[in-house]
Amino acid sequence: MRTTTIRTLLVLACAFLIPPPAAAQQDECLTCHEMMDDAAATAFTKGVHRRAGLTCASCHGGDATSDDMEVGMSPARGFKGVPSGQDISTACGKCHDDAERMANFGYEGPTGQLTTLLGSAHSRHAGESKQLLLQCTDCHGAHGIRHAEDPASPVSPLRVVELCSSCHSDPSYMRRYNPSLPTDQLAKYRTSVHGAQNLRGNSKTATCADCHTAHDIRPATESTSSVNALNIPETCGRCHSDPEYMRGSDLPTTQLAEFRSSVHGKALLDRRELSAPSCNDCHGNHGAAPPNVASISNVCGTCHALNADLFQQSRHATEFARMGKPECETCHGNHAVQPATLELLALDSGSPCADCHSESTAPQGYRAAMQMRMLLDSLMETVATAEKRLDAAEQKGMEIDNIRFSLRDARQARLQSRTAVHAFSLEKFREVVDPGLAIARQALVAAEDANDEYYYRRHGLAVATLFITLTIVLLALHIRRIERRQKKERDTQGDHTVS
Amino acid sequence: MNTRMQGMRGWLNDRIDLDGIVAFAKHKTVPSHRHSIWYYFGGVTLFLFIIQVVSGILLLFYYRPGEDTAFESIRFLMTKVQFGWLMRSIHSWSANLMVLAAAVHMFSVYLTKAYRRPREITWVSGVLLFYLTLAFGFSGYLLPWNELAYFATKVGTDIAGSVPFVGGFVIELLRGGEQVSGATLSRFFGFHVALFPAIFTVLLGLHLIMVQKQGMSTPIGHEEEGEQRTMPFFPNFFLRDVLLWLIVLNILAVLAVFFPWELGVKADAFAPAPAGIVPEWYFLFMFQVLKLLPAHVLFLDGEVFGVLLFGSAMTLWIFIPFFDRKSQRGQRGRLFTAIGLCVIIFILFFTILGWVML
Repeated sequence: MRTTTIRTLLVLACAFLIPPPAAAQQDECLTCHEMMDDAAATAFTKGVHRRAGLTCASCHGGDATSDDMEVGMSPARGFKGVPSGQDISTACGKCHDDAERMANFGYEGPTGQLTTLLGSAHSRHAGESKQLLLQCTDCHGAHGIRHAEDPASPVSPLRVVELCSSCHSDPSYMRRYNPSLPTDQLAKYRTSVHGAQNLRGNSKTATCADCHTAHDIRPATESTSSVNALNIPETCGRCHSDPEYMRGSDLPTTQLAEFRSSVHGKALLDRRELSAPSCNDCHGNHGAAPPNVASISNVCGTCHALNADLFQQSRHATEFARMGKPECETCHGNHAVQPATLELLALDSGSPCADCHSESTAPQGYRAAMQMRMLLDSLMETVATAEKRLDAAEQKGMEIDNIRFSLRDARQARLQSRTAVHAFSLEKFREVVDPGLAIARQALVAAEDANDEYYYRRHGLAVATLFITLTIVLLALHIRRIERRQKKERDTQGDHTVS
Repeated sequence: MNTRMQGMRGWLNDRIDLDGIVAFAKHKTVPSHRHSIWYYFGGVTLFLFIIQVVSGILLLFYYRPGEDTAFESIRFLMTKVQFGWLMRSIHSWSANLMVLAAAVHMFSVYLTKAYRRPREITWVSGVLLFYLTLAFGFSGYLLPWNELAYFATKVGTDIAGSVPFVGGFVIELLRGGEQVSGATLSRFFGFHVALFPAIFTVLLGLHLIMVQKQGMSTPIGHEEEGEQRTMPFFPNFFLRDVLLWLIVLNILAVLAVFFPWELGVKADAFAPAPAGIVPEWYFLFMFQVLKLLPAHVLFLDGEVFGVLLFGSAMTLWIFIPFFDRKSQRGQRGRLFTAIGLCVIIFILFFTILGWVML
């Protein structure tokens, strides 16, 4: 009797405190477990599932309508007790993998999380157990499951980093499943702009799930992974190229478009060259931050090592630092880096050299730039002319493979000159270009010789043919003369032998 | 001076009977009739052979057999050696013209029935010389070690390897291993510059001795036309021969300069075979027939059937004089003329078809 009164009071209290479930169902399990001060029951009442009208029996089985414990928890009524292992996620998936069922609860969000999870790294690293490494409850909790946007949810933007790092920052735990995976993600994240903002309570800033996705987490080496090099620009661009989302930030939102138009973007996205840099190669991934003025050459130098070395040894390194100019970016730009053409080494207005060097203000640099450009023009023109002349000789059937082979060294010098220019020293530039120019000139002379040889052969043939033809004519006349003489002799001798 | 010449003549007379040779040459005659033109092709073949020997020796000064050196040495010869390109081009073109001249010579001899008694040995040695000429062409084709030659040799030796019972031995003998490799190149070089020339010289000597001994054959019918018309070998026939040689030399020079023999790309055993691999033109008819044969003929594999067919035909061809009884008796026989014409038409048809279907 007392129990009934208390139960009634509790129900009335709950009716005022919590909104009614979407499809209110009698849950006698909850009634008792709440009375028992069961934390799980208390948590359940605060979770989304209770509000959606689910009962304890939805996951645990049994009959929630019966107030008789023996009946409610009878195996005959389907009582399963506490699900364990993959049964947990299977139970969740029963609804969350079924879009139609979810719609009946009035839910319009994404479904299929279990299927996605089964294809993710968290499934495959499970080893021989063949079970999911992570069950749904490991991240979302078991009873008090809340919306991801709810700050109290462990998967909410401000808490999800801690949740993921509870495993991923634990080397001894991670060693069991993926020893090659670093465990410093959280430490790096806290140094990043994203991490700092997150710590300050900005829930819009990127967290683990924003880049890696919530359920479809795959190794970066997989082409379908959201953090695969080919997909990273899109992943970052989801926020960074959305002006609406980035409102309130002082960052531009043109990076993705600029990157697509750049030499790096075309190599990565159009030609799918995985050696080309993606966003994270310059900005870092977990420790993502814009490189500062002094460190740009180190970032670019990761790939363009020789260029960076030469630049660091050059006078420009100290001058740029003094002037507060970003190193590589000053001439090449950042996201929209274009192929380095000859126009970069020019003194026309608008060229990067001309920004600082003019004949009157910085004559030494002006003259050096001008001479470097002239040398490079000479090299390229000589190589191009030699190639054209070699093509012409080849068309004539001349054997020019050797010359073409030697011209490769000149082309190599042309290529090296693009690096050597970063020393910003005429002397060092000449060390590369002068030998190439000499080879190109030799090749051009050899190509001209090959073309001349063609005509020489024809002239020689004409002379030889003329000589042989003359001999043929003379010989034919000689034979005719002999045979006439023989005929005359026969006629006089009455010889019957006919010539 | 005159006394010195006479002294020298006497010295030679004592040793080689020079006067006897001069007298023989003075009295040597060649039949003169409307088919006399065909006599000159033997001389043209000989002339081209001499060019082959001379240009081949010059090439030998620079050629270095070996997987890593053959192609490079030819390239060096063609680009760095004065007139090296001309020597190689002349060697290649004269080889092709020699095959053509030898074929014309052989078929003209066949159709005029010049093989009949007592010239059977001349015919047999001539046919063997022709087969050796083809072997020279096949072995020499590989020596520059370029892509086309490599794969053509691979196909060619594959065909030779399909001969029943002895195919495995033949392919091993030719290639010096399972695949066309540096060992094959060494063997082909040995065949081309030592073995074949040695055999060729012996056969050519025999052939020329027989020609000198028996003189030119007069076609059946012409010898019955009363007293035969003849012309002196010296100087008439000889000078006409020289005249034709000069014309051939002119043609050769034009071909060598206007259509220089390309070196192509160096052979790479691991590279895929380029499209359109075909043998030299004189093997094209055989290649085309083998290509067109069905997979199985009777109880034999198509390719084996083809190889046996050509092998048998080539063997029978050597012994033609012994089969043609009518001509042996000095009678005109239409059957063997028809067979010869059929062979010529067959070769021409499949060669042209091979070119068209390239």
